[in-house]
Amino acid sequence: MRDTMRNRCVGVVFYVSALFLLLSSGAMAKEWKLSPKQSIAEVVEQAQAGDTLRFVAGVYKQANIIIQKPLVLLGEKGAVLDGSHQHEILVLAAEHITVQGLSFQHSGRSSLNDLAAIKCLDAHYVRIINNQFDNTFFGIHLSNSNYALIEGNTLKAQALNEYELGNGIHLWKCKNARIVKNTITGHRDGIYFEFVTHSTIQENISTKNMRYGLHFMFSNDDEYLNNTFKNNGAGVSVMYSHGVSMHGNRFEENWGESSYGLLLKDIRDSEVIDNQFLANTSGIYMEGCSRTQFHGNEFKNNGWAIQLQASCNDNTLERNNFQGNSFDVVTNGVVVLNTLKNNYWDKYQGYDLDKDGLGDVPFRPVNMFSTVMERVPAAIVLWRSMLVFLLDRAEKVIPAMTPENLMDNQPRMKPYDYN
Amino acid sequence: MKTLGMLLFLSLACLACSVKPEPIAFGKASCHHCKMTLMDPKFGAEIVTSKGKVHTFDDINCMVNFMKEKALPQEEISYLMVVDMAKTKELIAAQQAFFVKGSSVNTPMGSGVVAFAKVEPYEAFIKEKGGELLTWKQVLDLF
Repeated sequence: MRDTMRNRCVGVVFYVSALFLLLSSGAMAKEWKLSPKQSIAEVVEQAQAGDTLRFVAGVYKQANIIIQKPLVLLGEKGAVLDGSHQHEILVLAAEHITVQGLSFQHSGRSSLNDLAAIKCLDAHYVRIINNQFDNTFFGIHLSNSNYALIEGNTLKAQALNEYELGNGIHLWKCKNARIVKNTITGHRDGIYFEFVTHSTIQENISTKNMRYGLHFMFSNDDEYLNNTFKNNGAGVSVMYSHGVSMHGNRFEENWGESSYGLLLKDIRDSEVIDNQFLANTSGIYMEGCSRTQFHGNEFKNNGWAIQLQASCNDNTLERNNFQGNSFDVVTNGVVVLNTLKNNYWDKYQGYDLDKDGLGDVPFRPVNMFSTVMERVPAAIVLWRSMLVFLLDRAEKVIPAMTPENLMDNQPRMKPYDYN
Repeated sequence: MKTLGMLLFLSLACLACSVKPEPIAFGKASCHHCKMTLMDPKFGAEIVTSKGKVHTFDDINCMVNFMKEKALPQEEISYLMVVDMAKTKELIAAQQAFFVKGSSVNTPMGSGVVAFAKVEPYEAFIKEKGGELLTWKQVLDLF
């Protein structure tokens, strides 16, 4: 009885004090209205932690604004911050800063420094939401900033020369970032990760970037889900990382001499699941990739569906669809240490007498001619000729050049329905 | 006329097989070690073999690692070139270049090593960005 009384008392005291805190902080937070003629730096100087700065419509030709306290920057429709092609625009150097609804344009370009529209330095918990970036060198640049949320931004860049472009969203040494529903076009790399861990990249659209739609380096335990990477210089590249989950993405129309949908280089313990690879020069190119699962992916109309270099081992390819690719799997070695299981191959010509939906004879996806092409690329002029057809048939009966063990023992007779 | 044609053919044939460094096509060429597309003309390196084959690299550690992995013998390497950071895109002989490591500049593959052809620009660079001077031999031992 006494105990419950005491508990109740403590509870009441807690609520009253919480209410008091809430009210007092509410009373303290102030809103500042800014017009293009005012100096942003001065207002930032006067503002207290927790205040809101509201930007009314107009072009603010002010740059190098450094923010070192937790503020909320809100842009009304038509509020544009302009870097006059020379400067960095915003530098965030404190925790809990929000930037929302602003437009940024014409940041400076530099060959030595990574000038950005928004640069975050040791700024944890920043939120960058629904902003627009036009012709900025780097769009959003974070270093040493954890728990960032970057959502709903649109980034567009244009340049004649590749060195005049920076990355759209660039993260360096960050943790627990979330990058959601952004659209990035025309940058060097759409999204760039270096030394970034435990982060999520979700539902972004990255198109027509000069190099990669998404670029991962030395970044472990991250996931990217349901993104679209279309028509980029060379697709998506994931390098020197482990524990990366890649689910439900679309890799489309990445065409070119050294172009891929997805490049995996020195990757281990990762997952490539439920993705779509449509019309790429090479769907997946992998080198030094091990212990990675490739399940439920769709490979359609690619030049090569998978280029599996001999340095890959312990990978599992299961329940994938291979349709309309010129070459399904290519490899440059004879020893194969990867598992292929229950995939659908449109080139499979076997039969299914026991009607269990799985073919009764194994399928060898490595085509003899593709092995020749690995060694002599110019040989492609003979592709689809009578001679090559005969050689392929002979090779199927007596494998001599292609790796004997690289086969799917139970290929599926009908494609999986992944729509 | 016939001899002229013959001469022309011969000279063309000689041109085709001459061994010399080629300018790097930034934006198109990819690194022969890490497969990344070369984008930033401040960084980059190139090996030309005695047979005239050109290998491009986006960062100096890629070149060094490539040489070590392939165990390229010295006599098969005709040129070892690196990009002069002060003049971007211009290639200089690695053996004669000045290297700076440990500055605040990030290189494409994280080696942090940049190269200069001349003394003044690298001194100015160190003043602004920090780092220390290395010789090519020291760079070879780094990776």
